[in-house]
Amino acid sequence: MRILVVDDDTLSRFLLVHMLEQQGYLDTFEAEDGMVAIELAKRIKPDLVLLDIVMPEMDGFEVATQLKKLAGDIYLPIIFITALDDEKSLARCLEVGGDDFVAKPFDKVILAAKIRAHVRTRLLSKKTFEQNKQLTFYRNAIEREHKIVEHIFANALSVNKSFTRYLDYCLNPASDFNGDLFIASASPTGGMYFLIGDFTGHGLASAIGALPVSQAFQAMSRKGLSLMEMAETINQTLLMLLPDDMFFAAALVEISHTGKQVDIWNGGMPSLLLQDQNGKIVKRFDSRHMALGILESHEFEADVERYEMQFGDRLVAFSDGIVELENDEGQMLGNEGIETWLLAQPNMNVEGIIDKAKEYLGSRQRKDDVTVIIFTSQPLEQVTNKGVASKIPLKMVLELDAKHIKSSDPVVDLVSVITNQLSLYGVHSELFTVLSELYNNALEHGVLELDSELKQSDSGFFAYFKLREEKLSSLEAASIVISAEYLPDENALAIQIKDSGKGFKQQHMSELENLEKSYGRGISLVKELCESVEYTNKGNTVDVVFKI
Amino acid sequence: MSLDREFSEDGSELTIFLEEKFDFGKVQDFRLAYSEGNETVTSIVINLQKTEYMDSSALGMLLNMQKSLSDTVKSFKITHCRPQVLKILQIARFDKKFLIV
Repeated sequence: MRILVVDDDTLSRFLLVHMLEQQGYLDTFEAEDGMVAIELAKRIKPDLVLLDIVMPEMDGFEVATQLKKLAGDIYLPIIFITALDDEKSLARCLEVGGDDFVAKPFDKVILAAKIRAHVRTRLLSKKTFEQNKQLTFYRNAIEREHKIVEHIFANALSVNKSFTRYLDYCLNPASDFNGDLFIASASPTGGMYFLIGDFTGHGLASAIGALPVSQAFQAMSRKGLSLMEMAETINQTLLMLLPDDMFFAAALVEISHTGKQVDIWNGGMPSLLLQDQNGKIVKRFDSRHMALGILESHEFEADVERYEMQFGDRLVAFSDGIVELENDEGQMLGNEGIETWLLAQPNMNVEGIIDKAKEYLGSRQRKDDVTVIIFTSQPLEQVTNKGVASKIPLKMVLELDAKHIKSSDPVVDLVSVITNQLSLYGVHSELFTVLSELYNNALEHGVLELDSELKQSDSGFFAYFKLREEKLSSLEAASIVISAEYLPDENALAIQIKDSGKGFKQQHMSELENLEKSYGRGISLVKELCESVEYTNKGNTVDVVFKI
Repeated sequence: MSLDREFSEDGSELTIFLEEKFDFGKVQDFRLAYSEGNETVTSIVINLQKTEYMDSSALGMLLNMQKSLSDTVKSFKITHCRPQVLKILQIARFDKKFLIV
């Protein structure tokens, strides 16, 4: 505790410093006049000042005013030690900013007690000042972080403009950050996906989960995955990331390229409403599942509802922020409330719904985020999500020997290599069918010398696959070489498969129309899916061109 | 691994859920799925919502199923196809034999 003693009288200063020493205050400084006191105070920053009033040059009142100014926001106790005892002077002591006074000659006990009391206040003030400084620091830091996060969110979660033609939407957060989430993305097959969801709570904590969800959603949309797989993956991601008391209610929607067929997976969101052109609610897609981020993967169910819309039908989705709005009477709006509005005004748009909601709320404060989305069934023209095709011709060759042929089924791996490398997610199923047919022909008829005729009867069908397994397991020397070459100019894949077998007779192809036969359809399928198919070399080599 | 199945409450409808890949590797599982405990079944639903990959042996298996159950089962449905899988079913004219929804 640093104490500054200011008095022009040497003896007085000596007595005061001595008394302070006795009380245990050893860190004391002395000044013989006002000017020295102020200069000293600037340097040593005292915690308490004992100040004489009557001094030459600058009196105590003036010194006190200046010292207080120097001390700034932190309380600097100033105790006047004075021989003056008129009321006016004593009152002035306090008016100029002094905190206390003691009469000369001073009473040691009283002065010591006063010093202790003021020191306590000084310490308190210092502590408050420090805390304030920290608070300001934290507040600034948080504001800065919020700005950064807001920026990231705005970029990561913005809805691509090409969807606004089909989707009418509005997100209305209750605070800076939105616990509601709406994202839309095109599928590689010409359709589109969107997701409307609601994390428990609102504000930053609940918004944070939106990032991984949106990243996963975008990546899976690009690959054209099923809603089922999307729901499973997002569930798994959130299960890993979120604390136990937090989860994500969401509805996943896929619109096919026709603009009519809709698939919906709804876990914990209010029912999505399907409104026909007369405004009638013809279907409600109720929540059939638990929200995401709760169930372990083996408990998780992902079955999807499918519906065929008519052009002009409207699919209306909203978060519970609107369902749970309370009016001045404390009455909740509910799904029925929204349905009533839509029935009364069949073509009410999102803005209209939001206006109605404001009206309903009256003077009350909205507590939760509100999101409303309307998709109107129509032909989808502009949405596509095709990867940028490479300009570089690329050739992949797979040489499989007997060991590889026995132990693996290379087709899925090859399909995923090609589709990933060339961003061909839109055709991965077709590519699989083509490669699978060609590879299995090479293996079964070329290498294993199996005869399809076996498959004619039901029991033969299974006998065939049994025989296939037997022959495969005893296979010793064989090779199948698959090459796939990407032709950027033709935008096509040239695929060749060569096997080491004796060659098989070009089988008489059954027509696709002949649905009585349960085999022999493979090559016809390949012909439909490819631009050209050619068998050479006694059937050991097949070349196809697959248009992308 | 056997395929997921689901019976309707009255036992008249059987739904079989196929996996990501539907090809010759599923021959045994698929036969078991439609032939076990199917005494009351008059309608079969093949749910393809997970299926991304399918080849002609799967088509053969579907036709085989239909042939072997034609005496007892009156309705065969294929549901929840992914767009690309639907294309393959259409190329193979499967809409003539199955109700594809």
